[in-house]
Amino acid sequence: MPKKTKPEGDLLQGTLDMLILRTLVVGPAHGHSIAHAIEFGSDEILQVEHGSLYPALYRLEDRGWIAAFWGTSDNNRKAKFYRLTPAGRKQLTAETNRWERLVKGIARGLRPAAG
Amino acid sequence: MLFRHAKRDAESARDIQFYLDTETEDNIARGMPPEEARAAARKKFGNPTLTREDIRLNGSAFLETTWQDLRFSLRTMRKSPAFTLTAILTLALGIGGNTAIFTLIRAVLLKPLEYRDPDHLVYFSVDNPRRNLQDLSFNTLQFDQMRAGAKSFCALGAYGRPENVMLSKNGEPEALKGARVSANFLDVLGIKPILGRSFLAEEDKRGGRPVAMISAGLWKRRFGGDPLTAGQTATLDATPYTIIGVLPDGFAFPFPNMDVWVTRPSEWSVFPPRYWDLPLLNGFARLTPQATLEQARAEMNVLQHRYAAAHPNLMNADAGVTMRVVWLKDRLVADARPMLWTLFGAVGFVLLIACANVASLLLARATSRSREFAVRVALGAGRFRMIRQLLAECLVLATAGGALGMLLAKWSLSAAPRLVAISLPRAAEIHLDSTVLVFGVGLSILTAVLFGLFPSMQASRPDLAQELRVSGAAAEQGRSARFTARSLLVIGQIAFSIVLLIGAGLLMRSFVALHDVDPGFQPANLLTAKIALPLARYDTDPKRAAFFRELLPRVEQLPGVSAAAIAMSLPATNWIRTNYWVQGKPSPDIGEPSTNAVIQSITPGYFRALGIPLKRGRELSARDNIPRAPPVMVINETLAHLLWPEYPHGENPVGRRIKEAYDKAVGWMEVVGIVADIHEGGLANNAVPEFYLPSVVHPPQTAYLVLRTPADPLRFAGAMRKAVLAVDPDQPLADIKTMESVLTSTFGQRRLTMWLLGSFAAVALLLAIVGMYGVIAYSVARRTQEVGIRRALGAQQSDILRLVLGQGLALSLAGVAIGIAGAFALTRVMKGLLFHVTATDPATFAGIAILFVIVALAASYIPARRAARIDPMNALRVG
Repeated sequence: MPKKTKPEGDLLQGTLDMLILRTLVVGPAHGHSIAHAIEFGSDEILQVEHGSLYPALYRLEDRGWIAAFWGTSDNNRKAKFYRLTPAGRKQLTAETNRWERLVKGIARGLRPAAG
Repeated sequence: MLFRHAKRDAESARDIQFYLDTETEDNIARGMPPEEARAAARKKFGNPTLTREDIRLNGSAFLETTWQDLRFSLRTMRKSPAFTLTAILTLALGIGGNTAIFTLIRAVLLKPLEYRDPDHLVYFSVDNPRRNLQDLSFNTLQFDQMRAGAKSFCALGAYGRPENVMLSKNGEPEALKGARVSANFLDVLGIKPILGRSFLAEEDKRGGRPVAMISAGLWKRRFGGDPLTAGQTATLDATPYTIIGVLPDGFAFPFPNMDVWVTRPSEWSVFPPRYWDLPLLNGFARLTPQATLEQARAEMNVLQHRYAAAHPNLMNADAGVTMRVVWLKDRLVADARPMLWTLFGAVGFVLLIACANVASLLLARATSRSREFAVRVALGAGRFRMIRQLLAECLVLATAGGALGMLLAKWSLSAAPRLVAISLPRAAEIHLDSTVLVFGVGLSILTAVLFGLFPSMQASRPDLAQELRVSGAAAEQGRSARFTARSLLVIGQIAFSIVLLIGAGLLMRSFVALHDVDPGFQPANLLTAKIALPLARYDTDPKRAAFFRELLPRVEQLPGVSAAAIAMSLPATNWIRTNYWVQGKPSPDIGEPSTNAVIQSITPGYFRALGIPLKRGRELSARDNIPRAPPVMVINETLAHLLWPEYPHGENPVGRRIKEAYDKAVGWMEVVGIVADIHEGGLANNAVPEFYLPSVVHPPQTAYLVLRTPADPLRFAGAMRKAVLAVDPDQPLADIKTMESVLTSTFGQRRLTMWLLGSFAAVALLLAIVGMYGVIAYSVARRTQEVGIRRALGAQQSDILRLVLGQGLALSLAGVAIGIAGAFALTRVMKGLLFHVTATDPATFAGIAILFVIVALAASYIPARRAARIDPMNALRVG
C-alpha cells in the first residue's frame, strides 16, 4: 500500500484547517487555488501533497466553517468554490490566538536549548 | 444517508478532476509536454483514490468517526509491531486463562444440574460430630423410616456403593461400572429414559426380578443402538438381567461414567449378603415446593432421633448422630469448589498483572508520543475526542487479545480433557458455550478500560507549554509523573505475582512431600487388576477360594513374573475396617474409629510381591492358606503400637491372639508376624492399624490381582487376562493399572491444581519481570544526562551499577513485601489442597521472596550495565 500522507499530515491536520480558513478570508476560491495559495503562503515549507487538502475541505464543510458552491473558473471550467462562513471566521480568530500562544510557548522552550 | 454519500462521492470526484485538469493546463502553459504535465499534476496531488476514500470516511456521523478512530488505531499499531504484539500476547494469556477457568467454573459450579427443577434437589447422609466423622452412609432400615416419615420431600431416593458389573454377552466378557439405585431414582431427578422404562417398585424388593438400565454409550457400543434392546436379556454378573431402558447421553448420577444401573442399593456385591444391612446408602430427595432446606433438615433429625431411640444397638444409633441435608449440587461439586475458586482468583491476578503490563507499555508509549498528543491538542483536538481515540486503540488491542485468548482457552480445554475429567465432577458438561463467549467479550472490554483508561486520561492532558519544550525541568515533571505511575504498576504486578508464586510454591512442596512419602513397599514394576466375582456363580467361600487357588499358580508361572498375589484391597482403593478383641485385654469401645483396623485377606506371597518388609515373626505360609488350618494373622506395626504401646520393646505381640468382628465364627487367631506399615488409605493419609488374614478365611468377592514384573508392567496385561479366562472364560478383569498409577490416581485434583497454578505463576513472574525490566530500562534512558554528570563528577562504573540495581531492588522489595502480606491473607483458602505444608510455610515464603529478588536484580542488571557504560561526554552533549 503506498504511503498516502506524510506523518505530518496527521500531525498538522489542525494547522491545515487553519491555513485553509485563512486563505478564504480574502474571498471564495476553488481547491486548486487554495492549494497553491497555501503552498506559496507558507514559503513552501508545508510540502504537503495537495490531495491531502481535500479531506480537510470536506471536513470543514461538514463543520459548517466553510460553504461550497459550483461556479466557473478562470479557465472556463465548472469548479467547486469554497467560501468562509461566519462560524468559520469566528473559528479562525480563536485558532489564531491559540496558535500564537503555542508559538510563543515553543519559542520560549527553544531558547535555552539553542544556547 | 447512502444517497448523501453517493452525492458527496461524485462531487469530490469532480472537484479533484478539476484540480488535476487545471494543474495540467498550468504545467503545459509553463512549457511541459502534455504527458509530463499530467504526471506532474498527479504527483503534486497525491493519490486521488485514497483522497476520495478519506473524504468518504470524513463524515461527521458517530459511527464514521468511530470507524476513523479504529482505522487510525490500526495504523498506529502497524507502526509499532513490537509493542502491538507484546500487548496482544500479554492480553491473550490473561483473557485466555480467565476464559478457560470460567468455562470450568460455569460448567461445574454455576450451571444448574441438568435435571427437572434442580433447585429442589437435596442430598442427605449422616454426620457423627462426636466422633468427628462426616458424610457417612445409612442403612436400609434408616432409609425406610425416613421415606415413610419425611413430609418435606415429594420423593426420597437412595444409592449404594459403585459396583463392578460383569457383562458376558456374545464375545469377551467386559467389566462395567455399575450403580445401585432405588427404583424411583429417575422420578426424583425428573429424567426420562431415551428408550424403554424405568424401574418398578416391586423390582426394588429383595428377590425382585433382575432388571437393569444401561447408559446410552453402552447401548451404542454393545447393542448397536438397536431400538429393540429394551426387553432383551443380558448376562450381568452371571445372572440373566432384562434390559428395561436406556438413559440419556451424559447422564452421570450418582457417579460419572456409569454403564449399568440396577436396583436394590444395599446389595453391594463386594460384601456377602449377611452384611447388606450395614450402612451402605446415601440419599437424595426432592423438596416439596413449600419446604425449605432448614425445615427438611430439622425433620430428618427428628426422624433420626426416633430411629436411634428405637434401635440403640444398631449402627448410626449413637446419641450424637445428626442428619446432613444439603443441596444436591453443592454435594456433587463440593470437592472441586475450593480448587476452582483458587484457580479463578489466581487467573484473575494474572489478568490484573497483564493489564498492568499493557498499561505500563501504554504509559511508556505515551511518553514517546507526548509530542504528537500535545500538537494534536494544540491544534484543536478535544480532550474527549483524544480519550476516545486512545481508548479505541486499547479496544482494538483488547479485542485482538481477547479473540486470541479465547482460541487459547478452547485449545487448552480440548488439549487436557482427560486431566480435567479425572479431577472434576460434571466434566461432561464442560464446553465453551455462548455464556462463556459473552464472558470473554465482556472481559476483553473491561480489560481495555482497565488498562487503557488511566494512560489515556494522562496522555490526553498534556501540559502544552511543558511538553512542547525540547527539554527542561518542566517537561521532566510530566514524565516523572508517568514514571511514578509505572513504578506503582510494577510494584502491584510484583505483589500479585508473589502471591501466585507462593501459592504455587506451597502446592509444589505438597506435591513433593506426597511423592516423598515412603509407601512402605516397592510400587515400581507392579501390575494390578480387579476381579469382581459374580455372586451368582461364586456364592460361597469355598467356591471363591477354589478360583483363587486355581488362578494364582497360572499367573505366578507367567514368564517374567517373579511374584504374584491376590488381596481384598489395594493401597489407595476401598478398604474394609472392622472391630476386634485381643485375648486377655479389656474389650475396646465398639465403633470408636481409633480401635478399628483394616482387614486384609491375602494369599501368602503378598508381602513378597509388594515388597513389604517383615519386622518380626514370620509371613503367612501356604500351609496357613488351606481350609481348616490353625487360624493365624499378621499385623502391621501401627496396630502393634496401638495394642502394645512399648512395641518394639516390652511384651512381644507375636504369639498373642486376636479375634475380629467381621466374621466372629473364625474365632481367635494367633499373631505370627509383624510387617512394616503401608499407606492403605493413599499416600496423603497416615498408616492405619491393619491385620492380614490368609485369603482362605475370607476369600473376597471382589479381589485384586498383583503381579511383580520386569520393567513396563502393562506389557503383561494380555497374558494376565488370558490366565484368568483359562480358569473362568466368563470372568473379566477390570481396572488394569500399574501400582504407581493406582497410587497417583488419588493426586489427580492436586496435580491439576498444581499444574495450572504453577503455569499461572510462571506467566505472572514473566510479566512482572518484563514490566520491571521496562521501567528500569526506561529510567536509565531518562537519566542518561544525570548519569553523565555523575560520571563527570567522578562516580565509578560500579557506583552507577549500584545506583540502578538499587532502584530495581527498591521496586522489588516493595512489591515483595506487599505480596507476602497478601499471601498471608490469601493462601489459607487453599489449606485443603496442601499436604505436610502449612498455608504460611516460612520456607516457601522466604524462598519465593529471595528467588524473586534475585530474578529482579538479574532483570535490572542489563539496563544497569548499559547505564554504567554511558560515556559521560556523549551523554552531556546530547542534552
